[in-house]
Amino acid sequence: MLGVMTLALGAVELGLIYAIMSMGVFVSFRILDIPDLTIDGSFILGCAVSAILTYHGHPILGIVLSILAGALAGMVTGFLQTKLKVQVILAGILTMTALYSINLHVMGNKPNVTLLNVDTIFTFLEDKLPQNSYRLPVITVILLLVCSILFWFLKTQIGMSLRATGDNEDMVRASSINSEAMKIMGLAIANAFVALSGAVLAQYQSFSDANGGTGTMVIGLASVIVGEAIFGRRSMLMCFISVVLGSVLYRALLTIALQIGLPSSDLKLLSAILVIIAISVPVVKNALSRLATRR
Amino acid sequence: MLKLEHVNITFHRNTVNENHALKDINLHLKPGDFATIIGSNGAGKSTLLNAISGTYPIDSGNILLNGQYITYQKEYKRAKHIGHLFQNTLKGTAPNMTIEENMGLAYSRGKRRGLSRGLKKQDTELFREHLRQLDLGLEDRLKTKVGLLSGGQRQAVTLLMATIVTPSLLLLDEHTAALDPKTAEQVMKITDRIVQKNQITTLMITHNIQNALEFGNKTIVMSQGRIVLELDKEQRKQMTVEKLMELYSTAAHDQFSDKMIL
Repeated sequence: MLGVMTLALGAVELGLIYAIMSMGVFVSFRILDIPDLTIDGSFILGCAVSAILTYHGHPILGIVLSILAGALAGMVTGFLQTKLKVQVILAGILTMTALYSINLHVMGNKPNVTLLNVDTIFTFLEDKLPQNSYRLPVITVILLLVCSILFWFLKTQIGMSLRATGDNEDMVRASSINSEAMKIMGLAIANAFVALSGAVLAQYQSFSDANGGTGTMVIGLASVIVGEAIFGRRSMLMCFISVVLGSVLYRALLTIALQIGLPSSDLKLLSAILVIIAISVPVVKNALSRLATRR
Repeated sequence: MLKLEHVNITFHRNTVNENHALKDINLHLKPGDFATIIGSNGAGKSTLLNAISGTYPIDSGNILLNGQYITYQKEYKRAKHIGHLFQNTLKGTAPNMTIEENMGLAYSRGKRRGLSRGLKKQDTELFREHLRQLDLGLEDRLKTKVGLLSGGQRQAVTLLMATIVTPSLLLLDEHTAALDPKTAEQVMKITDRIVQKNQITTLMITHNIQNALEFGNKTIVMSQGRIVLELDKEQRKQMTVEKLMELYSTAAHDQFSDKMIL
Protein backbone atom coordinates (compact mmCIF):
# COMPACT_ATOMS: atom_id res chain seq x y z
CA MET A 1 0.00 0.00 0.00
CA LEU A 2 2.73 2.41 0.96
CA GLY A 3 4.50 1.51 -2.28
CA VAL A 4 1.44 2.44 -4.32
CA MET A 5 1.11 5.74 -2.46
CA THR A 6 4.75 6.60 -3.13
CA LEU A 7 4.31 5.73 -6.80
CA ALA A 8 1.15 7.83 -7.04
CA LEU A 9 2.80 10.77 -5.30
CA GLY A 10 5.77 10.51 -7.63
CA ALA A 11 3.50 10.46 -10.67
CA VAL A 12 1.62 13.55 -9.48
CA GLU A 13 4.85 15.42 -8.72
CA LEU A 14 6.38 14.60 -12.10
CA GLY A 15 3.07 15.30 -13.79
CA LEU A 16 2.92 18.77 -12.28
CA ILE A 17 6.55 19.49 -13.19
CA TYR A 18 5.93 18.40 -16.77
CA ALA A 19 2.71 20.42 -16.73
CA ILE A 20 4.85 23.58 -16.75
CA MET A 21 6.51 22.29 -19.94
CA SER A 22 3.12 21.34 -21.37
CA MET A 23 1.93 24.91 -20.79
CA GLY A 24 4.84 25.96 -23.00
CA VAL A 25 3.72 23.49 -25.68
CA PHE A 26 0.19 24.87 -25.28
CA VAL A 27 1.49 28.40 -25.97
CA SER A 28 3.43 27.47 -29.10
CA PHE A 29 1.27 24.70 -30.50
CA ARG A 30 -2.23 25.84 -29.58
CA ILE A 31 -2.03 29.61 -29.20
CA LEU A 32 0.58 30.40 -31.85
CA ASP A 33 -0.22 27.33 -33.99
CA ILE A 34 3.50 26.64 -34.44
CA PRO A 35 4.93 23.13 -33.99
CA ASP A 36 8.07 24.20 -32.15
CA LEU A 37 10.84 21.63 -31.81
CA THR A 38 13.13 24.03 -29.93
CA ILE A 39 11.44 22.51 -26.88
CA ASP A 40 13.57 19.34 -26.95
CA GLY A 41 16.64 21.53 -26.59
CA SER A 42 15.36 24.28 -24.32
CA PHE A 43 14.09 21.71 -21.79
CA ILE A 44 17.62 20.41 -21.33
CA LEU A 45 18.94 23.98 -21.43
CA GLY A 46 16.78 24.64 -18.37
CA CYS A 47 18.04 21.43 -16.72
CA ALA A 48 21.66 22.35 -17.45
CA VAL A 49 21.53 25.96 -16.25
CA SER A 50 19.62 24.96 -13.13
CA ALA A 51 21.90 21.99 -12.34
CA ILE A 52 25.17 23.82 -12.77
CA LEU A 53 24.09 26.79 -10.66
CA THR A 54 22.63 24.49 -8.00
CA TYR A 55 25.91 22.58 -7.99
CA HIS A 56 27.68 25.85 -7.24
CA GLY A 57 25.21 26.68 -4.45
CA HIS A 58 22.63 28.94 -6.18
CA PRO A 59 19.45 26.88 -6.68
CA ILE A 60 17.05 29.85 -6.92
CA LEU A 61 19.31 31.80 -9.26
CA GLY A 62 19.46 28.61 -11.33
CA ILE A 63 15.67 28.64 -11.72
CA VAL A 64 15.57 32.33 -12.64
CA LEU A 65 18.41 32.17 -15.16
CA SER A 66 17.03 29.03 -16.79
CA ILE A 67 13.80 30.93 -17.51
CA LEU A 68 15.79 33.66 -19.22
CA ALA A 69 17.91 31.12 -21.12
CA GLY A 70 14.78 29.35 -22.38
CA ALA A 71 13.25 32.66 -23.49
CA LEU A 72 16.44 33.46 -25.38
CA ALA A 73 16.36 30.08 -27.15
CA GLY A 74 12.75 30.72 -28.17
CA MET A 75 13.69 34.14 -29.50
CA VAL A 76 16.40 32.60 -31.67
CA THR A 77 13.86 30.22 -33.23
CA GLY A 78 11.43 33.11 -33.68
CA PHE A 79 14.11 35.22 -35.32
CA LEU A 80 14.98 32.39 -37.74
CA GLN A 81 11.32 31.93 -38.65
CA THR A 82 10.26 35.52 -39.08
CA LYS A 83 13.30 37.54 -40.09
CA LEU A 84 15.34 34.91 -41.97
CA LYS A 85 12.27 33.09 -43.33
CA VAL A 86 13.51 29.65 -42.29
CA GLN A 87 10.72 27.07 -42.50
CA VAL A 88 8.82 26.80 -39.24
CA ILE A 89 9.78 23.23 -38.31
CA LEU A 90 13.33 23.56 -39.58
CA ALA A 91 13.88 26.68 -37.47
CA GLY A 92 13.06 24.69 -34.34
CA ILE A 93 15.24 21.77 -35.38
CA LEU A 94 18.19 24.11 -36.03
CA THR A 95 17.94 25.76 -32.62
CA MET A 96 17.46 22.39 -30.94
CA THR A 97 20.57 21.01 -32.65
CA ALA A 98 22.63 24.06 -31.75
CA LEU A 99 21.40 23.82 -28.17
CA TYR A 100 22.81 20.31 -27.84
CA SER A 101 26.35 21.72 -28.02
CA ILE A 102 25.46 24.73 -25.91
CA ASN A 103 23.93 22.51 -23.20
CA LEU A 104 27.15 20.48 -23.01
CA HIS A 105 29.12 23.72 -22.62
CA VAL A 106 26.77 24.91 -19.89
CA MET A 107 27.35 21.67 -17.99
CA GLY A 108 31.11 22.18 -18.19
CA ASN A 109 31.59 19.89 -21.20
CA LYS A 110 30.25 16.89 -19.31
CA PRO A 111 27.30 14.80 -20.55
CA ASN A 112 25.66 14.86 -17.13
CA VAL A 113 25.73 16.61 -13.78
CA THR A 114 24.74 14.92 -10.54
CA LEU A 115 23.62 16.96 -7.53
CA LEU A 116 24.52 15.21 -4.30
CA ASN A 117 24.42 16.84 -0.87
CA VAL A 118 23.71 20.31 -2.19
CA ASP A 119 20.87 22.68 -1.40
CA THR A 120 18.01 22.72 -3.92
CA ILE A 121 14.71 24.58 -3.98
CA PHE A 122 13.25 21.48 -2.32
CA THR A 123 15.66 21.12 0.60
CA PHE A 124 14.46 24.43 2.15
CA LEU A 125 11.28 22.64 3.27
CA GLU A 126 12.83 19.25 3.91
CA ASP A 127 13.24 19.65 7.67
CA LYS A 128 9.93 21.41 8.22
CA LEU A 129 7.54 18.89 6.68
CA PRO A 130 7.06 15.13 7.12
CA GLN A 131 9.12 12.81 5.00
CA ASN A 132 8.39 12.78 1.26
CA SER A 133 5.70 15.45 1.48
CA TYR A 134 7.98 18.44 1.10
CA ARG A 135 8.33 18.43 -2.68
CA LEU A 136 4.70 18.71 -3.72
CA PRO A 137 4.06 22.16 -2.15
CA VAL A 138 7.13 23.64 -3.87
CA ILE A 139 6.09 22.29 -7.27
CA THR A 140 2.46 23.36 -6.80
CA VAL A 141 3.41 26.90 -5.82
CA ILE A 142 5.69 27.31 -8.85
CA LEU A 143 3.08 25.87 -11.21
CA LEU A 144 0.26 28.02 -9.82
CA LEU A 145 2.42 31.13 -9.90
CA VAL A 146 3.51 30.83 -13.54
CA CYS A 147 0.08 29.70 -14.72
CA SER A 148 -1.57 32.70 -13.04
CA ILE A 149 0.91 35.06 -14.67
CA LEU A 150 0.28 33.49 -18.09
CA PHE A 151 -3.49 33.55 -17.56
CA TRP A 152 -3.40 37.23 -16.68
CA PHE A 153 -1.04 38.00 -19.54
CA LEU A 154 -3.22 36.35 -22.18
CA LYS A 155 -6.09 38.66 -21.18
CA THR A 156 -4.05 41.84 -21.60
CA GLN A 157 -3.92 43.79 -24.85
CA ILE A 158 -0.58 42.27 -25.82
CA GLY A 159 -1.79 38.82 -24.82
CA MET A 160 -4.88 39.18 -26.97
CA SER A 161 -2.71 40.25 -29.90
CA LEU A 162 -0.61 37.13 -29.31
CA ARG A 163 -3.65 34.87 -29.38
CA ALA A 164 -4.95 36.51 -32.54
CA THR A 165 -1.57 36.01 -34.24
CA GLY A 166 -1.99 32.25 -34.09
CA ASP A 167 -5.61 32.53 -35.15
CA ASN A 168 -5.42 34.82 -38.17
CA GLU A 169 -2.17 36.54 -39.04
CA ASP A 170 -3.70 38.61 -41.85
CA MET A 171 -6.18 40.10 -39.44
CA VAL A 172 -3.45 40.84 -36.92
CA ARG A 173 -1.38 42.80 -39.40
CA ALA A 174 -4.52 44.61 -40.54
CA SER A 175 -5.05 45.67 -36.91
CA SER A 176 -1.61 47.31 -36.99
CA ILE A 177 0.00 44.61 -34.85
CA ASN A 178 3.54 43.51 -35.69
CA SER A 179 2.84 39.81 -36.17
CA GLU A 180 6.54 38.92 -36.42
CA ALA A 181 7.27 40.49 -33.06
CA MET A 182 4.28 38.61 -31.62
CA LYS A 183 5.64 35.27 -32.86
CA ILE A 184 9.10 35.93 -31.44
CA MET A 185 7.58 36.94 -28.11
CA GLY A 186 5.26 33.93 -28.07
CA LEU A 187 8.10 31.49 -28.73
CA ALA A 188 10.15 33.18 -26.02
CA ILE A 189 7.33 32.71 -23.50
CA ALA A 190 6.74 29.09 -24.57
CA ASN A 191 10.39 28.14 -24.22
CA ALA A 192 10.73 30.03 -20.95
CA PHE A 193 8.04 27.72 -19.55
CA VAL A 194 9.77 24.67 -21.01
CA ALA A 195 13.14 25.64 -19.57
CA LEU A 196 11.59 26.37 -16.16
CA SER A 197 10.08 22.90 -16.19
CA GLY A 198 13.49 21.41 -16.98
CA ALA A 199 15.08 23.52 -14.25
CA VAL A 200 12.66 22.26 -11.59
CA LEU A 201 13.05 18.69 -12.82
CA ALA A 202 16.87 18.82 -12.59
CA GLN A 203 16.68 19.88 -8.94
CA TYR A 204 13.85 17.41 -8.26
CA GLN A 205 15.77 14.39 -9.52
CA SER A 206 19.21 15.82 -8.59
CA PHE A 207 20.38 15.08 -12.06
CA SER A 208 20.82 16.65 -15.49
CA ASP A 209 21.58 14.70 -18.64
CA ALA A 210 22.47 16.27 -21.99
CA ASN A 211 20.68 13.49 -23.87
CA GLY A 212 17.44 13.62 -21.88
CA GLY A 213 15.52 16.02 -24.12
CA THR A 214 14.52 13.79 -27.01
CA GLY A 215 10.76 13.58 -27.32
CA THR A 216 9.99 16.29 -24.77
CA MET A 217 7.80 18.10 -27.28
CA VAL A 218 5.82 14.91 -27.92
CA ILE A 219 5.27 14.45 -24.18
CA GLY A 220 3.96 18.00 -23.96
CA LEU A 221 1.77 17.47 -26.98
CA ALA A 222 0.41 14.24 -25.53
CA SER A 223 -0.49 16.06 -22.30
CA VAL A 224 -2.19 18.92 -24.15
CA ILE A 225 -4.17 16.62 -26.43
CA VAL A 226 -5.13 14.06 -23.77
CA GLY A 227 -6.25 16.90 -21.50
CA GLU A 228 -8.34 18.52 -24.21
CA ALA A 229 -9.91 15.22 -25.20
CA ILE A 230 -11.13 14.63 -21.66
CA PHE A 231 -11.70 18.06 -20.17
CA GLY A 232 -12.40 20.15 -23.28
CA ARG A 233 -11.30 23.66 -24.24
CA ARG A 234 -14.42 25.74 -23.80
CA SER A 235 -12.71 28.67 -22.13
CA MET A 236 -9.19 29.79 -21.38
CA LEU A 237 -9.49 28.56 -17.79
CA MET A 238 -10.65 25.12 -18.96
CA CYS A 239 -7.73 24.99 -21.40
CA PHE A 240 -5.28 25.66 -18.57
CA ILE A 241 -6.89 23.08 -16.29
CA SER A 242 -6.96 20.47 -19.04
CA VAL A 243 -3.25 20.97 -19.82
CA VAL A 244 -2.29 20.47 -16.17
CA LEU A 245 -4.61 17.51 -15.60
CA GLY A 246 -3.61 16.06 -18.98
CA SER A 247 0.02 16.13 -17.93
CA VAL A 248 -0.71 14.39 -14.59
CA LEU A 249 -2.90 11.83 -16.32
CA TYR A 250 -0.26 11.14 -18.93
CA ARG A 251 2.34 10.62 -16.21
CA ALA A 252 -0.05 8.26 -14.40
CA LEU A 253 -0.49 6.27 -17.60
CA LEU A 254 3.27 5.95 -17.97
CA THR A 255 3.66 4.85 -14.34
CA ILE A 256 1.00 2.18 -14.79
CA ALA A 257 2.56 1.02 -18.07
CA LEU A 258 5.92 0.67 -16.32
CA GLN A 259 4.32 -1.20 -13.41
CA ILE A 260 2.69 -3.78 -15.66
CA GLY A 261 6.07 -4.51 -17.13
CA LEU A 262 6.59 -2.21 -20.13
CA PRO A 263 10.36 -1.70 -20.52
CA SER A 264 11.27 1.96 -19.91
CA SER A 265 13.01 1.99 -23.29
CA ASP A 266 9.57 1.72 -24.92
CA LEU A 267 8.15 4.82 -23.23
CA LYS A 268 8.86 7.15 -26.14
CA LEU A 269 7.17 4.71 -28.52
CA LEU A 270 4.15 4.73 -26.23
CA SER A 271 4.10 8.56 -26.14
CA ALA A 272 4.23 8.80 -29.93
CA ILE A 273 1.46 6.23 -30.37
CA LEU A 274 -0.67 8.03 -27.80
CA VAL A 275 -0.38 11.32 -29.71
CA ILE A 276 -1.16 9.61 -33.02
CA ILE A 277 -4.26 8.00 -31.56
CA ALA A 278 -5.46 11.22 -29.95
CA ILE A 279 -5.02 13.18 -33.19
CA SER A 280 -6.55 10.51 -35.42
CA VAL A 281 -9.65 9.78 -33.32
CA PRO A 282 -11.75 12.60 -34.89
CA VAL A 283 -10.59 11.61 -38.40
CA VAL A 284 -11.48 7.97 -37.89
CA LYS A 285 -14.82 8.93 -36.30
CA ASN A 286 -15.65 11.08 -39.32
CA ALA A 287 -14.71 8.35 -41.77
CA LEU A 288 -16.81 5.81 -39.89
CA SER A 289 -19.89 8.05 -39.75
CA ARG A 290 -19.51 8.75 -43.49
CA LEU A 291 -19.37 5.02 -44.12
CA ALA A 292 -22.48 4.56 -42.03
CA THR A 293 -24.51 7.17 -43.93
CA ARG A 294 -23.42 5.79 -47.28
CA ARG A 295 -25.16 2.49 -46.62
CA MET B 1 -5.44 62.78 -48.96
CA LEU B 2 -4.41 59.72 -50.97
CA LYS B 3 -2.04 60.29 -53.82
CA LEU B 4 -0.39 57.76 -56.10
CA GLU B 5 2.34 58.99 -58.42
CA HIS B 6 3.62 56.83 -61.28
CA VAL B 7 3.16 53.59 -59.38
CA ASN B 8 4.49 50.46 -61.10
CA ILE B 9 4.46 46.81 -60.05
CA THR B 10 5.84 43.90 -62.04
CA PHE B 11 5.43 40.34 -60.80
CA HIS B 12 7.93 37.60 -61.70
CA ARG B 13 10.27 40.06 -63.35
CA ASN B 14 12.66 38.57 -65.92
CA THR B 15 10.78 35.29 -66.19
CA VAL B 16 8.38 33.99 -68.82
CA ASN B 17 5.58 34.78 -66.38
CA GLU B 18 6.52 38.45 -66.16
CA ASN B 19 3.37 40.43 -65.48
CA HIS B 20 3.34 44.21 -65.46
CA ALA B 21 0.40 44.37 -63.06
CA LEU B 22 0.31 48.12 -62.44
CA LYS B 23 1.44 50.53 -65.14
CA ASP B 24 2.19 54.12 -64.22
CA ILE B 25 -0.82 54.55 -61.96
CA ASN B 26 -1.68 58.12 -60.98
CA LEU B 27 -4.56 58.66 -58.63
CA HIS B 28 -5.71 61.42 -56.36
CA LEU B 29 -8.47 61.19 -53.79
CA LYS B 30 -9.70 64.15 -51.76
CA PRO B 31 -10.82 63.74 -48.15
CA GLY B 32 -14.24 62.09 -48.06
CA ASP B 33 -14.02 60.80 -51.62
CA PHE B 34 -15.69 57.44 -52.16
CA ALA B 35 -14.41 55.93 -55.41
CA THR B 36 -15.66 52.69 -56.92
CA ILE B 37 -13.32 50.65 -59.12
CA ILE B 38 -14.46 48.33 -61.88
CA GLY B 39 -12.52 46.30 -64.41
CA SER B 40 -12.23 42.76 -65.70
CA ASN B 41 -10.26 40.01 -63.98
CA GLY B 42 -6.55 40.68 -64.05
CA ALA B 43 -7.01 44.40 -64.60
CA GLY B 44 -4.96 45.17 -61.50
CA LYS B 45 -7.73 46.29 -59.15
CA SER B 46 -6.74 44.12 -56.20
CA THR B 47 -3.06 44.72 -56.89
CA LEU B 48 -3.73 48.45 -56.66
CA LEU B 49 -5.39 48.07 -53.25
CA ASN B 50 -2.68 45.73 -52.03
CA ALA B 51 -0.02 48.22 -53.16
CA ILE B 52 -1.71 50.94 -51.14
CA SER B 53 -2.09 48.74 -48.05
CA GLY B 54 1.52 47.57 -48.30
CA THR B 55 0.89 43.87 -48.96
CA TYR B 56 2.87 44.16 -52.21
CA PRO B 57 5.96 46.37 -52.40
CA ILE B 58 5.92 48.65 -55.45
CA ASP B 59 8.78 48.80 -57.97
CA SER B 60 8.68 52.54 -58.60
CA GLY B 61 6.58 55.57 -57.90
CA ASN B 62 5.24 57.10 -54.71
CA ILE B 63 2.29 56.62 -52.42
CA LEU B 64 1.22 59.46 -50.15
CA LEU B 65 -1.39 59.31 -47.42
CA ASN B 66 -2.30 62.50 -45.54
CA GLY B 67 0.68 64.17 -47.20
CA GLN B 68 3.12 61.59 -45.86
CA TYR B 69 5.13 59.21 -47.97
CA ILE B 70 4.13 55.67 -47.05
CA THR B 71 5.78 54.02 -50.06
CA TYR B 72 8.22 52.04 -47.95
CA GLN B 73 6.22 51.72 -44.75
CA LYS B 74 5.48 48.20 -43.55
CA GLU B 75 1.98 46.82 -43.88
CA TYR B 76 1.23 46.69 -40.15
CA LYS B 77 2.33 50.30 -39.73
CA ARG B 78 0.15 51.55 -42.58
CA ALA B 79 -2.73 49.60 -41.05
CA LYS B 80 -2.91 52.30 -38.35
CA HIS B 81 -4.54 54.52 -40.94
CA ILE B 82 -5.93 52.05 -43.48
CA GLY B 83 -8.81 49.61 -43.13
CA HIS B 84 -8.84 46.74 -45.64
CA LEU B 85 -11.69 44.30 -46.35
CA PHE B 86 -11.55 41.30 -48.66
CA GLN B 87 -13.92 39.08 -50.58
CA ASN B 88 -12.95 36.18 -48.31
CA THR B 89 -15.03 36.70 -45.20
CA LEU B 90 -12.62 34.59 -43.14
CA LYS B 91 -9.73 36.95 -43.70
CA GLY B 92 -10.70 39.82 -41.45
CA THR B 93 -11.42 38.15 -38.12
CA ALA B 94 -9.85 35.70 -35.67
CA PRO B 95 -12.29 32.73 -35.74
CA ASN B 96 -11.40 31.24 -32.35
CA MET B 97 -11.78 34.51 -30.50
CA THR B 98 -15.08 36.05 -29.44
CA ILE B 99 -16.77 38.99 -31.14
CA GLU B 100 -15.83 41.29 -28.26
CA GLU B 101 -12.20 40.14 -28.31
CA ASN B 102 -11.99 40.72 -32.05
CA MET B 103 -13.47 44.18 -31.65
CA GLY B 104 -11.19 44.87 -28.71
CA LEU B 105 -8.17 44.17 -30.90
CA ALA B 106 -9.51 46.42 -33.64
CA TYR B 107 -10.33 49.12 -31.11
CA SER B 108 -6.71 49.34 -29.98
CA ARG B 109 -5.57 49.85 -33.57
CA GLY B 110 -3.00 52.56 -33.84
CA LYS B 111 -2.64 52.85 -30.08
CA ARG B 112 0.20 51.43 -28.05
CA ARG B 113 -0.76 48.01 -26.75
CA GLY B 114 0.32 47.40 -23.21
CA LEU B 115 -0.35 45.20 -20.24
CA SER B 116 -3.69 46.73 -19.36
CA ARG B 117 -6.78 44.59 -19.68
CA GLY B 118 -7.60 43.70 -23.25
CA LEU B 119 -11.31 44.20 -22.73
CA LYS B 120 -12.59 47.00 -20.52
CA LYS B 121 -16.18 47.23 -19.42
CA GLN B 122 -16.91 50.58 -21.05
CA ASP B 123 -15.39 49.23 -24.29
CA THR B 124 -17.77 46.27 -24.44
CA GLU B 125 -20.69 48.67 -23.97
CA LEU B 126 -19.43 50.67 -26.92
CA PHE B 127 -19.07 47.51 -29.01
CA ARG B 128 -22.60 46.48 -28.11
CA GLU B 129 -23.89 49.87 -29.27
CA HIS B 130 -22.05 49.58 -32.59
CA LEU B 131 -23.30 46.03 -33.13
CA ARG B 132 -26.86 47.09 -32.40
CA GLN B 133 -26.68 49.52 -35.32
CA LEU B 134 -25.90 46.64 -37.66
CA ASP B 135 -29.36 45.29 -36.85
CA LEU B 136 -28.20 41.68 -37.16
CA GLY B 137 -28.90 40.68 -33.57
CA LEU B 138 -25.20 40.44 -32.79
CA GLU B 139 -25.36 42.80 -29.82
CA ASP B 140 -26.44 39.90 -27.59
CA ARG B 141 -23.74 37.57 -28.84
CA LEU B 142 -20.58 39.39 -27.74
CA LYS B 143 -19.13 36.21 -26.28
CA THR B 144 -19.78 34.10 -29.39
CA LYS B 145 -16.72 32.92 -31.30
CA VAL B 146 -16.56 34.70 -34.64
CA GLY B 147 -15.96 31.39 -36.42
CA LEU B 148 -19.56 30.45 -35.63
CA LEU B 149 -21.07 33.42 -37.48
CA SER B 150 -22.38 33.36 -41.05
CA GLY B 151 -20.34 34.96 -43.83
CA GLY B 152 -22.54 38.04 -43.93
CA GLN B 153 -22.47 38.54 -40.17
CA ARG B 154 -18.71 38.08 -40.17
CA GLN B 155 -18.25 40.62 -42.95
CA ALA B 156 -20.42 43.12 -41.10
CA VAL B 157 -18.32 42.61 -37.95
CA THR B 158 -15.15 43.00 -40.01
CA LEU B 159 -16.50 46.24 -41.39
CA LEU B 160 -17.14 47.51 -37.87
CA MET B 161 -13.66 46.46 -36.84
CA ALA B 162 -12.10 48.30 -39.79
CA THR B 163 -13.99 51.50 -38.97
CA ILE B 164 -14.41 51.49 -35.18
CA VAL B 165 -11.28 53.62 -35.04
CA THR B 166 -12.04 55.85 -38.03
CA PRO B 167 -9.34 55.11 -40.63
CA SER B 168 -7.94 57.73 -43.01
CA LEU B 169 -8.61 55.34 -45.85
CA LEU B 170 -10.89 52.34 -46.30
CA LEU B 171 -10.10 49.73 -48.95
CA LEU B 172 -12.93 47.39 -49.94
CA ASP B 173 -11.91 44.53 -52.22
CA GLU B 174 -15.20 43.04 -53.48
CA HIS B 175 -16.20 42.68 -49.86
CA THR B 176 -19.78 41.63 -50.71
CA ALA B 177 -18.96 39.29 -53.61
CA ALA B 178 -19.02 36.09 -51.56
CA LEU B 179 -22.41 36.84 -50.00
CA ASP B 180 -25.88 35.94 -51.22
CA PRO B 181 -27.64 38.85 -53.03
CA LYS B 182 -29.82 39.83 -50.09
CA THR B 183 -27.00 39.79 -47.54
CA ALA B 184 -24.73 41.54 -50.04
CA GLU B 185 -27.24 44.36 -50.35
CA GLN B 186 -27.55 44.59 -46.58
CA VAL B 187 -23.78 44.73 -46.03
CA MET B 188 -23.46 47.28 -48.84
CA LYS B 189 -26.05 49.51 -47.16
CA ILE B 190 -24.24 49.24 -43.83
CA THR B 191 -20.99 50.07 -45.61
CA ASP B 192 -22.45 53.17 -47.22
CA ARG B 193 -23.95 54.33 -43.95
CA ILE B 194 -20.70 53.97 -42.02
CA VAL B 195 -18.66 55.61 -44.77
CA GLN B 196 -21.06 58.55 -45.11
CA LYS B 197 -21.41 59.04 -41.36
CA ASN B 198 -17.68 59.21 -40.73
CA GLN B 199 -16.77 60.78 -44.07
CA ILE B 200 -14.16 58.07 -44.68
CA THR B 201 -12.13 58.27 -47.87
CA THR B 202 -12.88 54.95 -49.57
CA LEU B 203 -11.80 52.85 -52.53
CA MET B 204 -14.19 50.02 -53.38
CA ILE B 205 -13.70 47.32 -55.98
CA THR B 206 -16.91 45.80 -57.26
CA HIS B 207 -18.12 43.64 -60.12
CA ASN B 208 -21.60 45.00 -59.72
CA ILE B 209 -21.69 47.93 -62.15
CA GLN B 210 -25.00 49.08 -60.72
CA ASN B 211 -23.32 49.37 -57.32
CA ALA B 212 -20.34 51.09 -58.89
CA LEU B 213 -22.57 53.91 -60.14
CA GLU B 214 -24.94 53.96 -57.21
CA PHE B 215 -22.43 54.33 -54.39
CA GLY B 216 -19.69 56.88 -53.90
CA ASN B 217 -18.92 60.01 -55.87
CA LYS B 218 -16.37 58.76 -58.37
CA THR B 219 -15.90 55.71 -60.59
CA ILE B 220 -12.59 54.39 -61.88
CA VAL B 221 -12.30 51.87 -64.70
CA MET B 222 -9.16 49.77 -64.89
CA SER B 223 -7.86 47.58 -67.66
CA GLN B 224 -4.58 45.72 -68.05
CA GLY B 225 -2.83 47.47 -65.21
CA ARG B 226 -3.93 51.00 -66.14
CA ILE B 227 -6.62 53.41 -65.09
CA VAL B 228 -8.43 53.91 -68.40
CA LEU B 229 -11.37 55.99 -67.28
CA GLU B 230 -12.20 58.26 -64.36
CA LEU B 231 -15.75 59.45 -63.98
CA ASP B 232 -16.52 62.27 -61.56
CA LYS B 233 -19.87 63.03 -59.96
CA GLU B 234 -21.28 64.96 -62.93
CA GLN B 235 -20.15 62.45 -65.53
CA ARG B 236 -21.62 59.63 -63.48
CA LYS B 237 -25.03 61.28 -63.43
CA GLN B 238 -25.31 60.88 -67.19
CA MET B 239 -24.05 57.35 -67.08
CA THR B 240 -26.16 54.22 -67.25
CA VAL B 241 -25.06 50.64 -66.74
CA GLU B 242 -25.34 49.97 -70.49
CA LYS B 243 -23.38 53.06 -71.46
CA LEU B 244 -20.66 52.26 -68.95
CA MET B 245 -20.43 48.69 -70.21
CA GLU B 246 -20.00 50.08 -73.71
CA LEU B 247 -17.43 52.68 -72.67
CA TYR B 248 -15.71 50.11 -70.63
CA SER B 249 -15.33 47.68 -73.50
CA THR B 250 -14.11 50.39 -75.92
CA ALA B 251 -11.65 51.65 -73.33
CA ALA B 252 -10.42 48.15 -72.74
CA HIS B 253 -10.36 47.57 -76.47
CA ASP B 254 -8.28 50.68 -77.16
CA GLN B 255 -5.87 49.52 -74.57
CA PHE B 256 -5.71 46.18 -76.25
CA SER B 257 -5.13 47.62 -79.73
CA ASP B 258 -2.46 49.95 -78.33
CA LYS B 259 -0.63 46.97 -77.14
CA MET B 260 -1.06 45.23 -80.48
CA ILE B 261 0.49 48.20 -82.28
CA LEU B 262 3.39 48.32 -79.88
